[in-house]
Amino acid sequence: MNEKLKINRRHFVKTAGIGLAGFPLIANAFTRVAPSDKIRVAHIGTGNMGGAHIRWFAGFPDVETVALCDVDEVRLGKARELLVSRKSSANPDLYSDFRRIIDRKDIDVITCATPDHWHALVAIMAFESGKDVYGEKPLSFSVKEGKVMLESLKKNDRIFQLGTQIHAGDNYHRVAEIIQSGVLGKIHTVRLWKTGGTSGLGFPANETPPKTLDWNMWLGPAPYAEYTPVKCHGTYRSFFDYSGGVFADFWCHIADIMYMSVHPKGLSSIDARGEVPNDGIADTPKWIDVDFKFKDLDVFWTTTPPKVPGAEKMGIGAHFEGEKGTLTCDYENRVVSIGNETTNDVPEVPKTISRSPGHQRNFLDSVKSRQQPESNLEYAREMTLPMHLALISFRLKRKLQWDSVKEEFVNDPVANFLLSREYRSPWSLPVY
Amino acid sequence: MKVKRLLILVAFWGFTLLGFAQKNDGFTSLFNGKDLSGWIMPGKVPGFEVADSVLFASPHNGSELFTKEKYGNFVFKFEYLLSEVGNSGVLIRCEPENPWNSGVEIQLLAPWTPYRDDLHCTGSIYGHVAVTNRPDETTGIWHTMEIKCDRENVTISVDGKVTTVANTDTVKSMQGKHVAGSIGFQSNHSKEGEFVKFRNVFVKNMDSDPDYVSKGFYHENAGFRSQAHDAAEVIGVPMIGRLSEMMSGENVMAQAGAKQVLFDIVAKVASDGTKRERNALAKALGKEQKSSRSKAVKSYFEWLLKMAKSAK
Repeated sequence: MNEKLKINRRHFVKTAGIGLAGFPLIANAFTRVAPSDKIRVAHIGTGNMGGAHIRWFAGFPDVETVALCDVDEVRLGKARELLVSRKSSANPDLYSDFRRIIDRKDIDVITCATPDHWHALVAIMAFESGKDVYGEKPLSFSVKEGKVMLESLKKNDRIFQLGTQIHAGDNYHRVAEIIQSGVLGKIHTVRLWKTGGTSGLGFPANETPPKTLDWNMWLGPAPYAEYTPVKCHGTYRSFFDYSGGVFADFWCHIADIMYMSVHPKGLSSIDARGEVPNDGIADTPKWIDVDFKFKDLDVFWTTTPPKVPGAEKMGIGAHFEGEKGTLTCDYENRVVSIGNETTNDVPEVPKTISRSPGHQRNFLDSVKSRQQPESNLEYAREMTLPMHLALISFRLKRKLQWDSVKEEFVNDPVANFLLSREYRSPWSLPVY
Repeated sequence: MKVKRLLILVAFWGFTLLGFAQKNDGFTSLFNGKDLSGWIMPGKVPGFEVADSVLFASPHNGSELFTKEKYGNFVFKFEYLLSEVGNSGVLIRCEPENPWNSGVEIQLLAPWTPYRDDLHCTGSIYGHVAVTNRPDETTGIWHTMEIKCDRENVTISVDGKVTTVANTDTVKSMQGKHVAGSIGFQSNHSKEGEFVKFRNVFVKNMDSDPDYVSKGFYHENAGFRSQAHDAAEVIGVPMIGRLSEMMSGENVMAQAGAKQVLFDIVAKVASDGTKRERNALAKALGKEQKSSRSKAVKSYFEWLLKMAKSAK
């Protein structure tokens, strides 16, 4: 644990006793593994993924879950029950306003599983208050948010792990090893896909939000909108006001293996095509195909699997085309073709990349070691960026030219306007 | 005062100029009597030529003739003259590469040829909808035909009398047909030596009328809603007031469509519009932003206005 973290830890003083209260620094040096050295975690957003966070983190002996937060009272109550069912000793403080958690000096880590339009601000406010963050994907709602998040992380010397848990699996590590070994030759093309897209969701009338839901807080920095249930829990990603559809949901999971393996650089153009559903209020892609041009690498995203062997059975996948061979993979499986031979592995490629101890464990270890984890913010931001740009191309219905050094579209003020979104008062992004 | 007078003058010029391009009833001529400009003949053998200021189709099974322009909702009227056993037709809402699959044919046929029942005679939607009021089929004389496509309602008249009324949503064999496309004349489909002539070809494109297009946002059929959205995007800035009204209205379908189309219009005009168009855009958005009483709509217009102004 770093010094700052420890000094801030009010609970330590409480449990270590009055005698040591004046000497926390000295005391800390001797209590590295003491029970009081637990990482104190709060979970913000307790829906589907938030529930997974609660279960995952409750399973670590060096974690104490001290607070839960949700703008929906019903969900918050269920989250508490879930936590207690996992750890009967747990007695979390419950909040509807995450700022009460940000204010607490005795919390080391927050996990964030809010809707996408809240991700950046929650993380930045946590960084500013000296907390580390395990944040759900996608990283951000806009390109600008990703930038400010990274600035804030660096300024505050914080740890961040993006919740792309597939990253930690053996398969992705092995795929990266095989590709980086050069047995496939230089990779010139990558095809990524995810089947399915946003469905229309019909035309439900606006309603008064339930009394148990703080709809205004749910909206937060997003534009004011009347409430209707499909805009909220579970299906909010169908709306550009809060996310970018199935594409935004899954891009990072599968683009992750491309960035792990070949780390594309020098993005220069983005050309998206697709359609918005016409049978409902949802406005994100029903389908989307995107051509990306990186330096020495063509990347294609499609909503239907590409015509390569094995792809038709994969709902999500990546296909790497090299000069000597190809590799097709999804989260768990991989198929390598070199010449006429098709196998699941290339045994002569040595194991060179150390395996993750698990995505959440990797993060907790980083909280202690102060070394950034595998899906750290710098990496996650680079990986997320093309997703945002593709959605801008989709919305503008035209090909866009990108300056990867300046990180802006070339002579395109309208596209550049969409790189950020002004927050609704009273929320704002800090300026560093 | 001076500025005001100038504006009135410009408006007057605009009106008279419009008067030349279109007849006062909103119809535009599609055939100039001299050449085939505005039309395409994708087939190998040309099926049409201009002779004596009329469109003349005599080569046997030559290429059909299609408008370059696509039309969804329109009134198409023309005069035709069939030779003794002439056989031709008008293709509507079709893709020139695949006209009979994508669209349908309104038949023009001499009465004493085979397949001359009500489902295949002049005025029928060939093979799909029969005439209910058989027209005068005398060959060798000029007749007028008017085809009106008003979303799902297709009405065909010959010599001023309605022959066929169809609700395309209820015609099983017409499901999956396109709701917009080229309009085409079929070449001489009879034997060698027969012919067909066309003249006075006019169209009124209802999809350029903001009021007509607005109604499409409320249509139950998603295909016709999408058609209205596309048409509204083409109209652009003159739609903004109506779209603002829809967003503030009670109909969720129209709200959602209006929200999307407003974005599309602003994105397009701000990106590609002339300075004058962009100024008109900012003015229209500013007006709606000021006058809107709904909090959500107001903030949306505020945002759109910023996007519009981002392009300098």
